[in-house]
Amino acid sequence: MLDQASPDQSYLHGDHAAQIFQPIKFRHVEAKNRIFRSNLSGMFDDYNGHGGNARVNWETKFAKGGCGGIISSYTPVAVRGRILTRYAMIDNDDKIPFWRRIGEAVHEHDCRFFMQLSHSGRQQDLGGVENVYNLALSSTDKKDFFHGILCKAMTKPEIQEIVEQFAQGARRAREAGLDGVELHGANGYLITQFLSSGINDRDDEYGGSWENRARFCLEIIRAIRREAGQDFHLQMKINAVDHNDWLYPWQPKGNPLDESIKICRMLMDDGKGVDAFHISSGSTFPHPRNPPGDLPMRDLVRWYDGMLSQGVRTHLNYRIFSNPVGAWLFRRYWIWRRGKVIEGINRDYARAVTEAIRETDDSVKVLVTGGWQHADAIGNAIRSGACDGVSIGRPLIANNDLAHILKKANGPAPGKECTYCNKCLINDLENPLGCYELSRYDGDTFEEKYDNMIKEVMSVFYPPTFT
Amino acid sequence: MAIDYDRLSPTEVAQRRQRRIRWLIYLVILAVLIWYFVIRSEYVIAYENPEQHFKYGSIGSEGVTGLPTPVLHALPVLYKDRMGDKGWGAFGMHTEPDQPLPIGFSRRIVTGVERAWLNCSVCHVGTYRLPGDDEVHYIYGGASNDLLLYELIDFFIDVGRDPGFTADKLIAAINSDEVPAHLNFLERRLYRWVVFPRIKAALLALSDDLAFVKRQEPYGPGRVDTFNSYKVLQFNFDMSPDAISDVALNGASDYPSIWMQAPRAGMNLHWDGNNNSVAERNLSAALGAGVSPPSVDHASLARVRAWIDKLKAPEFPGEVDTALAERGSALFYRFCADCHGYKTAEGYDYNTGKYPYLGQVVPLDEIGTDPGRWASYTQGFAAAQNTLYAGYPVQFRHFKKTGGYANHPLDGIWARSPYLHNGSVPTLRDLMEPAASRPAVWFRGSNELDLARVGYRSDEASGGKFRFDTSVLGNRNTGHEGPEYGTDLPAADKDAIVEFMKTL
Repeated sequence: MLDQASPDQSYLHGDHAAQIFQPIKFRHVEAKNRIFRSNLSGMFDDYNGHGGNARVNWETKFAKGGCGGIISSYTPVAVRGRILTRYAMIDNDDKIPFWRRIGEAVHEHDCRFFMQLSHSGRQQDLGGVENVYNLALSSTDKKDFFHGILCKAMTKPEIQEIVEQFAQGARRAREAGLDGVELHGANGYLITQFLSSGINDRDDEYGGSWENRARFCLEIIRAIRREAGQDFHLQMKINAVDHNDWLYPWQPKGNPLDESIKICRMLMDDGKGVDAFHISSGSTFPHPRNPPGDLPMRDLVRWYDGMLSQGVRTHLNYRIFSNPVGAWLFRRYWIWRRGKVIEGINRDYARAVTEAIRETDDSVKVLVTGGWQHADAIGNAIRSGACDGVSIGRPLIANNDLAHILKKANGPAPGKECTYCNKCLINDLENPLGCYELSRYDGDTFEEKYDNMIKEVMSVFYPPTFT
Repeated sequence: MAIDYDRLSPTEVAQRRQRRIRWLIYLVILAVLIWYFVIRSEYVIAYENPEQHFKYGSIGSEGVTGLPTPVLHALPVLYKDRMGDKGWGAFGMHTEPDQPLPIGFSRRIVTGVERAWLNCSVCHVGTYRLPGDDEVHYIYGGASNDLLLYELIDFFIDVGRDPGFTADKLIAAINSDEVPAHLNFLERRLYRWVVFPRIKAALLALSDDLAFVKRQEPYGPGRVDTFNSYKVLQFNFDMSPDAISDVALNGASDYPSIWMQAPRAGMNLHWDGNNNSVAERNLSAALGAGVSPPSVDHASLARVRAWIDKLKAPEFPGEVDTALAERGSALFYRFCADCHGYKTAEGYDYNTGKYPYLGQVVPLDEIGTDPGRWASYTQGFAAAQNTLYAGYPVQFRHFKKTGGYANHPLDGIWARSPYLHNGSVPTLRDLMEPAASRPAVWFRGSNELDLARVGYRSDEASGGKFRFDTSVLGNRNTGHEGPEYGTDLPAADKDAIVEFMKTL
């Protein structure tokens, strides 16, 4: 499949592959190619945040599959900042051995590993038993508008505590021998909740102007530098544009592109700040633009139920999802709010960021996420200077060896491509993360295909913990 | 074979079945509620005051015969060429201020649609003006003297047959500024596909049924051919020229007043005395206003009856020469009371024990008045009427063919002009004359009282538009004459009797 968004088809596959498979040199670390496994994982780990064997298997799949680097799934710096249960955390030194094991497993395949340091803020989908009596921490008292998750605006001491949690997380990542850390400042999590003018309604020095809204993030960056050193790779995932009004058009739009660029420049902190940006868009998760694709309504009815207890709008959502008319309308709305482009949906945003920061410092690299699956699309994006590399989520879940495929072909074989159905996204709420797009699997009957799908999804548990 | 990748799990299949059953139950409940509250239940625009109830209260004709209220508003707009600016007033109907429709139209919501049609008061509200005065006085429960029923029927017949009466025009008229209603998008569809075709079909059927009316002599204002329409609308009688004589075809008669009904119980009611039950007479008259045996609102009729049972006859609005009246009283007692009752200081005396012929039928030969009304009511029709309300406790039992016309009490007789059953004699004083001396041609339609002769003015300058020719079939002004009727008395005696009759 050719990249429909690309006007330039005058290159051979080899030209695109050459772009993709040239090493990328960050300030302090180098990766063998431009394909990064984006941050995603399933609820594979121990409930209390200790990592498990399944995650080692999980990350190894992509390292083996030829990715130049892996960004860990959302890794909470504190249990209060988790989004889902059974995700390995980095809230304590006792987690360092597990992450060291991950690093070793990935490095065996010449693959870099960056830990994504994260805090959910109010976007806490399944807080777990630890958080039943906790109000989510946020920049604001206003509940999350999608699920209606309640929250409270943090006090300054609480802000400082979380800044320190991020710093300690980075220190632990370094001690674990990982190659760097990424701050999850996109897609509606805590850092977005400070950065976004659509969410942050504070009137102290952490709210108001874009400089004030970026203060929280800058403090984290400086604290990380203090704890983990100036030479430890630190990248920042950030929304180029918030599109905060996707669901309710009367919500404020959030940060526009130019403001995001100003924030990026600020976070570079005169060369002492971030080493790379990871561009996304959409101030909630999920968001029609992230991950861009369809919305599997049947799966939502099957697997959203676990969230019913989490927010004050979940029952409304569930009634919409489980009503044939509501489901149809919501899905059409979702698709309309996304727009036509899926692959490279954030490419032009990334281009704007790349061009702006290169004026200041061309040692800072830009990765961009959003539906990447084809060599021509990626090759053109890199060649045209829209970005230095791409991060890929769902297409890598569908084809763990996508990097190897792209070396030889423009994309996966027909019928094996990621369909952007987002069933992986929805199944992750209650099931092991994997590709649940039945049509992609071999077999002549529903049952055969289903068996093969289950085998593939459960492959994350192989080799088993005890053999 | 294509694989259904969206296959439901067994649980989901079962849930879907449950959901469908649940929806089916909801739909059934909804259907029952709609059936009960919209289809089965009717809602009347009701009036607490008995007089208002009489004027505007529903007796149940709307669902059977009625038209949607907006249509009744639209017809005068559509047929302005015929009705002029007076709207329904063109047919002698009276609209009071702040009322959407004239007196005699009641409103009821049937199958969710507000419809309007006639009630008792369309025929039983009289009007008068004092000489030289423009103020119109209403006599509720009196005899209508203005209603142009013949023209009204003729109008509906013509509307039914009018190829220009289309859904487009009707909808445009309803949505015009002249009509206090507006049809929205859905209602317009409803009117186009459901309401209009039904109206058109109903009016066409009415046109066919009442085609015989075109063969009748025009009734003129304040007259009705009660039983010929009744024969067709209730029983599909054959009204072709072979089946009915011209005499029987022209049975138009004057509207009666309907006050003081309680004392009339047991008298032979209707002009020809064909029924001696007030209740049956009322129900029968309701059929004439458009109700059907299943649709009639008995409770409403009972309210009307309670009101008319005791409704007082109106007081004469002019001067009365009491001395003359006193002399007239004795003459009245001598010549009139045996048949009509009498008035004493205690009020009108309806005692049929004292006045042996009160409420009795006088043979046609003897009374000698116009035979049309008598002939229009036949034995066969009486038999048919006695099948009405079969299966209800109120089944008609008392209708009978009589030999002539019945004697009625004369309470409020001053307000019941013109006189004789067919309204062929304009004033009481004229009625005291032998037929040969009564006006042969006069003008009907003025409601200005002639206080001396007692009755409406009937001269050409009176404003009455209808030239009443007593030589026309059904209009004979003969009868009720001879020595025993006082028509041979000296003029002064006749004056005295008329003076006394002002006080009745």
